[in-house]
Amino acid sequence: MIVCVAVVGHQNNPLYIQSFTESDDVLKLHHIVHCSLDVVDERVNNPKKSGPTLNETFLGLLYPTENYKVYGYLTNTKVKFILVTTDLDVRDADVRNFFRSFHAAYVDAVSNPFHVPGKKITSKVFAKRVSGIVQTFGLSSAG
Amino acid sequence: MADPANTKLGRMLLDEITPVVMVLRTPLVEESCRKNGLSLIEMLAPFSNFNNIDVPVRTASDQPYRLRKFRLRLFYGSEVRQPNIEAAKERLKQVITFSGDKDISELCSDPPDIESLIATSKQELVPSWFQNFNKELIDVVAFSEHEAFDHPVACLVAVSSKDKDPIDKFVDLFNTNQLPPLLNDGAMDPKILKYFLLVHDNQDGMLEKASGILTEMRSTFGANDCRLLCINTSADGTEEHQGTLWASYKNSISNNKQYGCFLNADDIEELRSTMHDFSSKHIIPHMELKIRVLNQQISATRRGFRNQIRNLWWRKGKDDAPENANGPMYTFSSIESQIRVLGDYAFMLRDYELALSNYRLISTDYKLDKAWKHYAGVQEMMGLTYFMLDQSRKDAEYCMENAFTTYLKMGPSGGRNATRCGIWWAEMLKARDEFKDAAGVYFRISGEEPLHSAVMLEQASYCFLLSTPTMLRKYGFHLVLSGDLYRKCDQTKHAIRTYRGALSVFKGTTWSRIRDHVHFHIGRWYASLGMFDEAIKHVLEVLACGHQTKATQELFLRDFFQIIQETGKTYEVLRLQLPVINFPLIKVVFEDHRTYASTAAASVRESLWQSLEEDMIPSLSVMKTNWLESQQKVLPKKYKESNVCVAGEAIKVEISFRNPLQIPISISNVSLICKHSAEFDETESDANGFSIDHQNDKELRAVSNSGEFSLDTSLFTLSEIDISMRGGETILVQLTVTPKIEGSLKVVGVRWKLSGSVVGICNFNSDIIRKKVTKRKKKPKQPVKDNLQFLVIKSLPRLEGVVDNFPKTVYAGDLRRLTLELRNPSKISVKNLKMKISHPRYLIIADQEVMNSEFPTCLRKQESSSESCTQVDAARAASSLFVFPETTAISSETPLKWPLWFRAAAAGSISLYITVYYEMEDESSVITYRTLRMHYNLEVLPSLEVSFQTSPCSSKLQEFLVRMDVINRTSSETFQIHQLSCVGDQWELVLLQPMESVSSLKLLMAGQALSCFFKLKNRRTRQSTEENTFLATSGRADVKLVDGDSTGLYDTYISPFILFHHHERVHQEKQEQGHGGTVDFILISESRSGSDAGVASKSPIWWLIDGPRSVRHDFSAAFCEINLSMTVYNSSEDVVSVRVLTLDYTPAINSATSAASGSGNEVGWHDISHVSEIKVTSDVTGVRAGKAPPSTDSVSPFIWSGTSSTRLNLEPLSSAQVPLQICVFSPGTFDLSNYILYWNLVSSGGHDADGPKVSSGTCQGHSYHIAVLQKE
Repeated sequence: MIVCVAVVGHQNNPLYIQSFTESDDVLKLHHIVHCSLDVVDERVNNPKKSGPTLNETFLGLLYPTENYKVYGYLTNTKVKFILVTTDLDVRDADVRNFFRSFHAAYVDAVSNPFHVPGKKITSKVFAKRVSGIVQTFGLSSAG
Repeated sequence: MADPANTKLGRMLLDEITPVVMVLRTPLVEESCRKNGLSLIEMLAPFSNFNNIDVPVRTASDQPYRLRKFRLRLFYGSEVRQPNIEAAKERLKQVITFSGDKDISELCSDPPDIESLIATSKQELVPSWFQNFNKELIDVVAFSEHEAFDHPVACLVAVSSKDKDPIDKFVDLFNTNQLPPLLNDGAMDPKILKYFLLVHDNQDGMLEKASGILTEMRSTFGANDCRLLCINTSADGTEEHQGTLWASYKNSISNNKQYGCFLNADDIEELRSTMHDFSSKHIIPHMELKIRVLNQQISATRRGFRNQIRNLWWRKGKDDAPENANGPMYTFSSIESQIRVLGDYAFMLRDYELALSNYRLISTDYKLDKAWKHYAGVQEMMGLTYFMLDQSRKDAEYCMENAFTTYLKMGPSGGRNATRCGIWWAEMLKARDEFKDAAGVYFRISGEEPLHSAVMLEQASYCFLLSTPTMLRKYGFHLVLSGDLYRKCDQTKHAIRTYRGALSVFKGTTWSRIRDHVHFHIGRWYASLGMFDEAIKHVLEVLACGHQTKATQELFLRDFFQIIQETGKTYEVLRLQLPVINFPLIKVVFEDHRTYASTAAASVRESLWQSLEEDMIPSLSVMKTNWLESQQKVLPKKYKESNVCVAGEAIKVEISFRNPLQIPISISNVSLICKHSAEFDETESDANGFSIDHQNDKELRAVSNSGEFSLDTSLFTLSEIDISMRGGETILVQLTVTPKIEGSLKVVGVRWKLSGSVVGICNFNSDIIRKKVTKRKKKPKQPVKDNLQFLVIKSLPRLEGVVDNFPKTVYAGDLRRLTLELRNPSKISVKNLKMKISHPRYLIIADQEVMNSEFPTCLRKQESSSESCTQVDAARAASSLFVFPETTAISSETPLKWPLWFRAAAAGSISLYITVYYEMEDESSVITYRTLRMHYNLEVLPSLEVSFQTSPCSSKLQEFLVRMDVINRTSSETFQIHQLSCVGDQWELVLLQPMESVSSLKLLMAGQALSCFFKLKNRRTRQSTEENTFLATSGRADVKLVDGDSTGLYDTYISPFILFHHHERVHQEKQEQGHGGTVDFILISESRSGSDAGVASKSPIWWLIDGPRSVRHDFSAAFCEINLSMTVYNSSEDVVSVRVLTLDYTPAINSATSAASGSGNEVGWHDISHVSEIKVTSDVTGVRAGKAPPSTDSVSPFIWSGTSSTRLNLEPLSSAQVPLQICVFSPGTFDLSNYILYWNLVSSGGHDADGPKVSSGTCQGHSYHIAVLQKE
């Protein structure tokens, strides 16, 4: 199950962060997302594996915490998408698919002429779409 | 990398993994030592650490090497055992608490900037007490059986010379009963090296006796193993030593006592030589010997191929043995133990190669035996040995990890060992600059024990900070985690310290949720420590948390007030975020020569007023020619920019407060902060280097009393406002300051009190200027109005003006007389009053005589009305500037009243601006004139809509037919049309209908329309032919449309009519030009509101016919059927039965009884003059073309074709629809009024006693015109 998705701007400012848990661990998820930025920075700044992964937007598993797995995705405009999930065996392809549709949703959201770049995404449509994507993520991995 | 021995871990290992000497002593020895404030061990400790012992060592290999640094660890026999866990915990806690207390002074300082934090070296960064803590943690697992390096190598037996039977004592001390369990349970060889020390206290004298005992000892225990130690030679106890000698070995708190006060230089020298002898002549040779012996033994049994095979075989056979929880027990005599001892001894003597080979050998054995603890211990040592050899980093790390995981696998029993292993591992990684991995290790060490975890997490966080690239976010996160754990263990100071570190990470970011959490908790913890200043500072940061949930906001706010309450003081907070002040909305209203009658007037754009006052006020150039006149009039140059205000007159500042929270807050005592300086000179100097209060530096200060206020009140008065704001609300607050004395006044800021406990201060100056700087780039010219610096001049007369009873909403065309009232409250009188009104079409100035006469009768025609005055009025109307007569200088207490004529010229909303100019009697003032600006808004509703159509009369050349259509556009008003006049001398107006027929009709209900026909004659041309008498008799250009005598006519030649006509004309000419030869009419009507009620009382029902007004139909094909519907409404309280009866003849019978009986016959379309009628209509529009010839017979040109009678019951206050249909046979305009409604009350249960109610009635149909046209 995906517990949290986040969009982080290129100055590492949170643009959108949404948790999908009932319990009150929003702060923890904020921390996890915030920490994962360190790993993103590290991956981006010293790419050990150049070559095929050079232009890859999908950053893969950022780090496993005790109960979560954190995945990252970096767009061309240095906007980061972070995914926190409780599933311990997640197929990479699933996560890639998730990020692809999430990216599409994000692009649509920021294409809104009333969206101010670099400001928080407040679009309800975006939120609805994201929660839709999050739900289908659970289904596709189960099936 | 540097020499591993010089790294932190290397030093640690050289300190910790050293030979242990077990010390046994009698109580008398201890007593002698205590005189110096030291125990025996403490006394010996400084001398058991050798920095340059320089002893040649030869271990297994034949190549000797020299040992430089060496150290012995001394422990009492009773201490050589596994430490008590609880006691260890307590000790750890003490270490932490102690260091926490030490740090308290730093807690008040600002948290360091993150950049500077990175720049600081690691020694400064990482708290030094970590080392102590780690050492304590390592000591917890000392003297475990599976490791040989903690096993005593030698035993030091000390007996005092005062003891009785010292020889027996020596033997007794080494009694097995008191020996540590390690020796007793067989984990180590009980036959250890013994060294016998006779301690002699020189204060007791009897040195001879001591030497006697020594000789006895020598004979008993052997000559080499005995020694005499004399102490306390100094008799007076005043020996001074370098403080460092014992200081680093003594960690007890009592520092005041002088250690070793009875030890003189000789004693110390003796101590030193004793220990040197002991280690170099006894311990090291002993260890060398043991290594060689063990090595030979092991080589014989285990080395070589054959032995390996045999060993494996033998081990295999042991597989079936039942597994012990701790693995098999190895006694000292077992080969495994011996290998381990060999390894550890070699390690302690720095022969790492030998140690490593032995560890390797034993490690596989332990693994095969599943002796996990031993295995882990050996792996750990292997890792350390690799490290000390500085080779194969990978192996070292692998060994450490292996050891660590193995310890963890063992469950809780291995936890402590795992901790120690982890600390070493992390140190190892740190020594190799692999901080990130070290952080991971620290993170893994943190187990269940919250206090340990807290320290470990904090250490991990520093590793993240030191790693390259710096992982700041992880640093912050781990600090927060660690802080939480510290807090759990009541180590609040540590918690604050860690959170403050974290704060430096989160401070500038937009991760507000985390930042709020950190700020809030720091604030709370400070409060729990009683450091309220800091607490408030931090909690303030989170107050304006609009993004948080309501519950969180409430929590924050509640805690904030709680903290404030606990302080018991009133705090003044600069930049209090609650409520937020919206800066661009600060507006300053003040009055210099411009004064405003109302706030609405003040909010009008300045340019509007300026254009209005353009030709009224003396221009600037005129002012400048006055330079010869009086010098004092010219303002100091400084104040050209600053605003001028008058003492005693309020300056209003509008500030908008916004509540960012979802919860309501209450704010009280909102007032301005002002600075007044009485003298001009002072302010001039002040203005140069403007140094306002020093509040900027201090963000927070406690005020004991508002002492400064009492001083200020004499200079100016401030208004105070209390407001309460709902969640998310924005409130515009108007604050005033009224200077009392001349001088200069500066509005510095605003202050308010939040919930009666915290005073918030906002400094306009700094904030606005900061914003202005950015703005100025774009817009170089700032409006002067924003300047908050005022020059206060002495008080001036200020007129107050009001227009009495100015209507808010009026109907179009409404003519009223209003009164302008000007009041001068001051003693100084004013002169030269002038007035200007922005819209003369709506508002004009009347003559003062009007005041006394009665309205509207004064407008009626007087017998002696002179026409000459009209010309004067017209001239006056041309200029909109009105100059009051010279006599009207108003002084105090006598208000000037002046009448105004008001006419609502057109529908819509309109803003009227009135400005009154006046000059001071007192010439000396800076300001010589002032203007009073009044502003009124009003809504004009549409009322009567009048349209005229004129067409030349075909019969007479100079006559015209005029059709007037009047529609009442209001929703409720009823008007009575009073009079129609045409303007100009040359016109004469005659009503075409008989007066009686029209007059009763002229009560126009809401929505009703009316048409009248007039004949208009041009008198100018007729005048030559007709007599003058005709003029007199037939009136002039007025037609009275109401019953009554002719004196009721209004005179349209007097001032309001003629003036308004003039302005209307000007207005219309502006709109459409080139429209010559027009006639202007004036229609005068009177409002008759309330006549509706009269109608309603007569009949409980009223109705409306709905249908097409004009129909086109081809009559050549068939007759025309038109569907209509009637809506009947019952306005009574009872059920009414209604019968609609359509008649095909004109109902003349009911005319006497019907409510509208008077008009029964006349309703609708009437032809007045057959011939002219047709011609006019055809001429004018053609809309009414094809008017049916007047029906002389009773057959109407249409018939009702639906049901001729419909009956229905109407509920109270309800309506119903009745369908109707007519058949029309020929084109024409028809009046469908020939129907009757009969009604009677059905449920008349409530017959009241006070009078018979009308229970039934008949209503004549309303007229409804329908035009049916032939389709082309």
